Amino acid sequence: MKPSELAGQTGSVSLVGQVVGKPTGDSHAGGLRFRLRDVKDASGTTVPVVYTGSVPDLFATGRDIVVDGQLQNGTFVATPGTMVTKCPSKYTAVNPAAQE
Amino acid sequence: MAEFGRAALVVTLGLCLYAVAAGALAASYRRRRLALSARNALIAAFGSTLVAAAVLAVGFLRSDFSLTYVAEHSNRSLSGVYKLSAFWGGQEGSLLLWLLILTGYAALAVWVNRNRTRDLVVWVTPVLGGIAVGFSFLLVFVASPFAVQAAPVDGAGLNPSLQNPYMMSHPPFLYLGYVGLAVPFAFAMGALLSGRTDERWIVATRRWTLIAWTALGIGQLLGSHWAYVEVGWGGFYAWDPVENAALMPFLAATAFLHSVMIQEKRGMLKVWNVVLVSLAFCLSLFGTFLTRSGIVNSIHSFSQSDIGPWFLAFIVIAVAFSTALIMWRLPLLRSTTRLESLVSREAVFLYNNLLLVALCLTILWGVAWPILSEAVRGQSVVVGRPYFDFFLRIFGLPLLLLMGVGPLIAWRRASLKGLGRTFLWPAAVAIVTGVVLLALGAGSSLPGLIAYTFSAFVLAAIGLEFVRGTRARRALSHESWPGAFASLVGRNRRRYGGYVVHVAIVLLAIGIAGASAFDSVVEGKLAPGQSLAVSGYTVTFQKLTERETPHAAEVRAHLAVSRGGKDLGPLEAGKNSYKIAGPDPQVSSEVGIRTNYLTGEDLFVIPEQVNGDGTVYFRIFVKPLVNLIWLAGLVFLLGSVIALWPDAREQRRLAVRYDEAGSAVRGR
Repeated sequence: MKPSELAGQTGSVSLVGQVVGKPTGDSHAGGLRFRLRDVKDASGTTVPVVYTGSVPDLFATGRDIVVDGQLQNGTFVATPGTMVTKCPSKYTAVNPAAQE
Repeated sequence: MAEFGRAALVVTLGLCLYAVAAGALAASYRRRRLALSARNALIAAFGSTLVAAAVLAVGFLRSDFSLTYVAEHSNRSLSGVYKLSAFWGGQEGSLLLWLLILTGYAALAVWVNRNRTRDLVVWVTPVLGGIAVGFSFLLVFVASPFAVQAAPVDGAGLNPSLQNPYMMSHPPFLYLGYVGLAVPFAFAMGALLSGRTDERWIVATRRWTLIAWTALGIGQLLGSHWAYVEVGWGGFYAWDPVENAALMPFLAATAFLHSVMIQEKRGMLKVWNVVLVSLAFCLSLFGTFLTRSGIVNSIHSFSQSDIGPWFLAFIVIAVAFSTALIMWRLPLLRSTTRLESLVSREAVFLYNNLLLVALCLTILWGVAWPILSEAVRGQSVVVGRPYFDFFLRIFGLPLLLLMGVGPLIAWRRASLKGLGRTFLWPAAVAIVTGVVLLALGAGSSLPGLIAYTFSAFVLAAIGLEFVRGTRARRALSHESWPGAFASLVGRNRRRYGGYVVHVAIVLLAIGIAGASAFDSVVEGKLAPGQSLAVSGYTVTFQKLTERETPHAAEVRAHLAVSRGGKDLGPLEAGKNSYKIAGPDPQVSSEVGIRTNYLTGEDLFVIPEQVNGDGTVYFRIFVKPLVNLIWLAGLVFLLGSVIALWPDAREQRRLAVRYDEAGSAVRGR
């Protein structure tokens, strides 16, 4: 399910999206908060997510992730431990200056 | 340089096209000289592919960044050995590796069989050539590794998570497996095309299949071990689509490997065998497609590219071609004998086929459903662990049991009395083991307990086979026990090698059951001096240290482990922050693993989060018996080597048999 399709959904779904903005909070203490938007739609709606549990190493702003949970009062409350990240492109950007 | 490489690939494409056209004509019209030229073209295609591969390899070793592919996957500071493994670090290079292995196998297959089963082999050339045409076409026109650019000062480098020995070994082994399945496939198509549907094609490809299957198995275990120690989430198999992409052809190939024995011995299951080998090969193409096309969300996702639709077309052609051939030749695939009883070795092999294919297809559905759902309904769904775990148990546990039943049950029709006699001891051992384990608390997981009990049954059954065989050998030759054992195995390498492989699978099952069904986990935030206790271990967090290397900033938590008051030594776990281009560094978890070699148990510490205030949030697992999984890999290899080992006696036996079969067929 994409963030743009989430409005009005009740029940547990799997949300696929890209992390925007800086995540705040602690997933092991009170919850990690961030926003998700559609992977392919840069200008679309974003959904606030609160997540507790293990956070994969690759989690960062700009990464695509999948997380299960439920929409509650406008915030997507994630089921603990269900976050999975998609590996970024294996090719890091070419940056000649950095290697000197 | 790049032009030279590209030209070599064009030459390969040309030679393979010739091999297909000339080979097909030669086979249809029985033109011997034309067939020879087609065969030579295929062998030459390996040469030109080798040249192309060498050009790319040299490009990496010389850090020739005018080659876009080299610049994207390597940099000057990368050590030599990883520069070479960067060859297959991306799309185009891994396709070239596929083609190299394919043309290599093809050249070897047609050369080794040049004097045998000629009417069969003349068709193998165009089929293998056809597959090679597909891949070389992609390499020349769609995804060339020889694209050039203005050379940047330095390359982008290899992703840090790929700079380890696993990257050197995991992809090549998997490819040796995937591609290896093309040879038995080609022989099967050759058998159908030539009408020679007796077991000749099976005998000719037995070792090929075994080698491909072993390579695929080892490749998967390497991948699992990589995931376990490096990716570090505490597991070794996540039912990720690309993990499944390798498992599916492996399951189909396992069914094929067993099913062909029935055709060899009893002339049955002929349709099963051509279907199974086609399924295995098409699944390996599908697996390559899955891993490359970006179509699924997975840790292996390569960047999105245009290669997807081409691959899909390739697979559709392969499936259509094999299906059409099988349907056409159905009359020739009649069994020469009938299944006489549902309780017989033939029947058990049939159940084996059914269970393996069922498991394979349920996994296929689990992988395909999200893709289909997205494409057809626009709804993204995720098929998770519970689905796969459920079917693994439903199909896997009976398969485990059958591994013990199959080798011992009688051919044609097993009598109840015979069954009782053969299985009394193994069943007794299993029941006793089950009861003991239940008393020790294994009842906490029913599937786990069943897995252990069945494993005991199989081990007892195999042990009994070895003992009975050795005893009989001794009676015959009056050798000592070790001598009799050695000559028993030496004289029956297929059978006893196979038994050793079964032992490996049982060890795998025990390891998986222990690590998944009977593991324990604890988590919490620790400040220096605090500890967590799990399953008898006490893990104390002592201090945090930081270290800078040219590539990364390494943070390590130093821990002390003790059990029952006894100090077991230090352990380190932490995070590496790799300096790469971009706003965020790439962070990897470096888990701390303490292995108890006596019990096979692992204490697995994951440093989930290092907080600014010096505290660390830890997740600690205790995984019983998990190291049996890696041990199983070694035993698996041993068993395969025994089964593969050339046997002069067996070769003579087969030669005699095929002269008979040959003359019988010619007389038709």
